[in-house]
Amino acid sequence: MNGDLNARRGLIAAGLLAPAALIFATLFIWPQLGLFLQSLGGPPTFSRFLGDSYYLGVLGNSLMLGVCVTLVTLVLGFPLAFLLARAETRWAGLLLLLTTFPLWVSAVVRSFAWMVLFFRSGVASRLLQGTGLVPPDFQLIGTFTGVVIALAQVLLPIMIVTLYAVIRGVDRDLEHAAMNLGASPAVAMWLVTLRLARGGVLAGSLLVFSLSVSAFATPSLIGGARAHFMAVTIYEQTLELLDWPFAAAIAAILLVISLSVALTYGKLLGEKNR
Amino acid sequence: MTSLRTPLGWVLRGMAVLGFVYLLGPLLVIVAASFSDTGYLAFPPQGFSLRWYQAALADQRYLNGFFVSLRLGLMVAALSLVIGTAAAVALTRFAFPGSTLLEALFLSPLVLPALVLAVALTLFFAANPIAPPGMTRLVISHLLVGVPMVLRVMLPVLRRVDPAIEEAARNLGASPIKAFFLVTLPVLRPGLIAAAALAFIFSFDEVEMALFLGSVRDAPLTVVLYGAAQMQMDPTVAAVSSMLILLALLLMVAQQMYANR
Repeated sequence: MNGDLNARRGLIAAGLLAPAALIFATLFIWPQLGLFLQSLGGPPTFSRFLGDSYYLGVLGNSLMLGVCVTLVTLVLGFPLAFLLARAETRWAGLLLLLTTFPLWVSAVVRSFAWMVLFFRSGVASRLLQGTGLVPPDFQLIGTFTGVVIALAQVLLPIMIVTLYAVIRGVDRDLEHAAMNLGASPAVAMWLVTLRLARGGVLAGSLLVFSLSVSAFATPSLIGGARAHFMAVTIYEQTLELLDWPFAAAIAAILLVISLSVALTYGKLLGEKNR
Repeated sequence: MTSLRTPLGWVLRGMAVLGFVYLLGPLLVIVAASFSDTGYLAFPPQGFSLRWYQAALADQRYLNGFFVSLRLGLMVAALSLVIGTAAAVALTRFAFPGSTLLEALFLSPLVLPALVLAVALTLFFAANPIAPPGMTRLVISHLLVGVPMVLRVMLPVLRRVDPAIEEAARNLGASPIKAFFLVTLPVLRPGLIAAAALAFIFSFDEVEMALFLGSVRDAPLTVVLYGAAQMQMDPTVAAVSSMLILLALLLMVAQQMYANR
């Protein structure tokens, strides 16, 4: 009787899991394994990537983009997240909602907004031309700086949401206690809030870094024809040059970067929970 | 807010205002530019005209793209919701060996770059044409991210629901299936709505897989916009973008109103 019941429960569980399991087996595990096999078979693809200074430059560009975007989102995101987490007005909820609003809009649309500002006679490019620091026909489209500015804006809401959750968890009384003991607000924030929120700072940074390194739409649209970034290179190799083994190899390298970042992230969260 | 009346407080506030302008300014710029009465994209806009909206609505590519994206988003949301919730119920209500590992596997596409998934699927479909190019391929590929999104919302929701209420219904004579639909499902409703909204927005806004796996005939709106934005600075793109921003605003407000009810 008991065995029957267990068998029936097992059958129900298997039935509930079957559709998801089928999708993941055929469309996730198989293709990801195929990607590695494809990159290993045929001509030596990894040594071609790692032995070519152009492709190493692409990898370097993407990693540099990740570092720059992470720094910009941290510097702009922390004050916003801190004020939102500490605000006591009923506007705080609305403001938090507004910061996450861009996430509802496609990255293509958000990148196009920056193109409007960045092209030769766009406001941002004209402002820079006005300073005289750049040549008169300068435009931010096609520059690394332009990609950093646009991608940091696209990913800023993700940083803010991550930081907000952690800062909310930091006890305000600890900040007050530090100030009562004679610390200035700046020192209290540095010694207490930032220290206690450092797990969140790290988590948000890893998340934004990983997303920046593999970003496609923004680097491709803002970077234009000279967008030497990992995802754009994979796109060109797959759909334009049709060199699939090589595209698979670059994708595998990107996959390894993302996975190591994700594992670090998971390990950090695990240590925090212990 | 005593600590914010200090110089540091003002620095923080200044930076927060700067952050807000940076975050939302570009969206306002695009909306403003879409009304410009010029033949090219102008910001600040000159004059006022709705002609770029007329042009956008008369353009078959955008109209077709919108309906492709709408169909895609609705199908992905519905299928992800059913498949994801079923898996979430199995993972939370039945203890079986390897369930934590399976959960980690099901959530893992969320940490992988969309482009890597797109390339792997392109190679896979080329070798195994199990689905025709276009809509079918796009729907089943988007499920790979839609299902984990539903799981991420529903797993904690299901873990919070007390199984005792379901048992109570069973003790009162309801069958397990009846108990689930009459008792558990209504409790899950806000979570289900949020999960479906997330899956829809992901699918509607996604561009990487759409570029790799879509066909020219079934090109979603993001793909049409991506191509148009690459070609030239066309005010029509600004008009379409503004309409999408308005649509996103309406969806967000609707979701908020539902969640706060």
